[in-house]
Amino acid sequence: MTRIIVVTSGKGGVGKTTTTANLGTALAKRGHKVALVDADFGLRNLDLLLGLENRVVYTAVEAIAGECRLEQALVKDKRQPTLALLPAAQNRNKEAVTPEQMKKLVLALQKAFDYIIVDCPAGIELGFRNAIAAAKEAIIVTTPEVTAVRDADRVIGLLEANDIRNIRLIVNRIRPEMVEMQDMMSVDDVLEILAIPLLGVIPDDERIITASNRGEPIALSQERALPAIAFSNIARRLDGEEVPFLDLMAAHNTLLNRIRRFFRN
Amino acid sequence: MVQVWLPDPDQTPTHWLEIWDRLKQRLSTGERFWQAGTVAHLLAGKHLLDGRQLLAIAEALAQAQLDLRTVATCRRQTAVVAAGAGYSVEQTLPQTTAAAPVEGSAETWAEPLYLKSTVRSGIEVSHPGTVVVFGDTNPGSEIIATGDILVVGRLRGIAHAGAEGNRACQIFALKMEAMQLRIAEAIARPPATPPDQLYPEIAYMTASGIRLAPAPNFFKSHSFSMATESWVESP
Repeated sequence: MTRIIVVTSGKGGVGKTTTTANLGTALAKRGHKVALVDADFGLRNLDLLLGLENRVVYTAVEAIAGECRLEQALVKDKRQPTLALLPAAQNRNKEAVTPEQMKKLVLALQKAFDYIIVDCPAGIELGFRNAIAAAKEAIIVTTPEVTAVRDADRVIGLLEANDIRNIRLIVNRIRPEMVEMQDMMSVDDVLEILAIPLLGVIPDDERIITASNRGEPIALSQERALPAIAFSNIARRLDGEEVPFLDLMAAHNTLLNRIRRFFRN
Repeated sequence: MVQVWLPDPDQTPTHWLEIWDRLKQRLSTGERFWQAGTVAHLLAGKHLLDGRQLLAIAEALAQAQLDLRTVATCRRQTAVVAAGAGYSVEQTLPQTTAAAPVEGSAETWAEPLYLKSTVRSGIEVSHPGTVVVFGDTNPGSEIIATGDILVVGRLRGIAHAGAEGNRACQIFALKMEAMQLRIAEAIARPPATPPDQLYPEIAYMTASGIRLAPAPNFFKSHSFSMATESWVESP
């Protein structure tokens, strides 16, 4: 059974597209056949993060209109042979497709893929409804900030109203040092409001910015960066494995950091 | 038979998708007080519904195990669509908003509404009676009740009790962390610094506005005065 998962958040800029790119990469590394669908018509970014923007010939709009076959629109990643991207159109906007068309398109991918991950645009209007049209599961991405959590709560209510009840949470861009000083919400504070199962926690890391700009998802890198490990753990949890959460405080509590904090206080 | 009332489009103008969302939320979070297969009667009032929308409502009700049979409407177009879809149609006259003797006293209240899940941000629950929430209400949610509001959990959104003007109504919560509290026509904000410990509290109307008091023993020490239409401490 193909798993169709939508990655959404409500708030913009919390890391949906980065999560989609890295999670897709991590799942493909485990041998699954993964299709990533960019549902952000007009402001597409998924192709940039994957470094595939020069290889886009046809987009979802042409596939829906029948101007090309679905296979022609799918861009295969040379670094990850089992990963494919269905790009969105950049020259249109969210009204270019309807939820029914998106649903038909995504369901047509089922035969060839084990996982279909749909990158949802920010907001709760037509773009959101398009992205969730075919999904059976959802991943909510939020940062530990009141604004993002408030929007995520709204989105969870909308997902439940649309009969998507398998909803799990990723808390992104957490800074353990700020959490310790109570300057930032902790994962528990977020869970207290959102009350959905936790899928993963990803620490804030400058290397994600460099990876984005280079078009190489951090999950692909050889070095064992914490975010890469976090994404790989999330992929394992999606596969049903029970993986303990990374102790980000321990990584932050190295001797050097503790000495630095001592002098700062 | 279960009656499904759509909100009056004159009083609360809402987009079709919002109505749809609210119907789905109400069906999934409210308690099901009917048996499977109960007949449902849709009161569409002034709404203009097309075939697709009517089908969507029927499907949502069917998922909640309600069988839509009849539609009451005062719009000819909706009546034609409903009849075409095979429902019994009752054409009503558009109701003029009655001159409101809106005291909202308890005899006119409907049965209490029990919600057994978290009330999420963006959800507005409106009920002509008492509302009981077994769960939390998140910031950004609104509960509007003609009667009392009881939150067996954390109250973090907005709560409006006695919405039709009944000042005897109260708001109870295990943890009172509301964004705003409203009783009848009064509005109150929480204090700027929240207390260290949260314990069950009741919000009630006094002559000088809305006040909070610890919930246990409240009714032993307070009584409602009809003269001032507010709660006062019993001697």
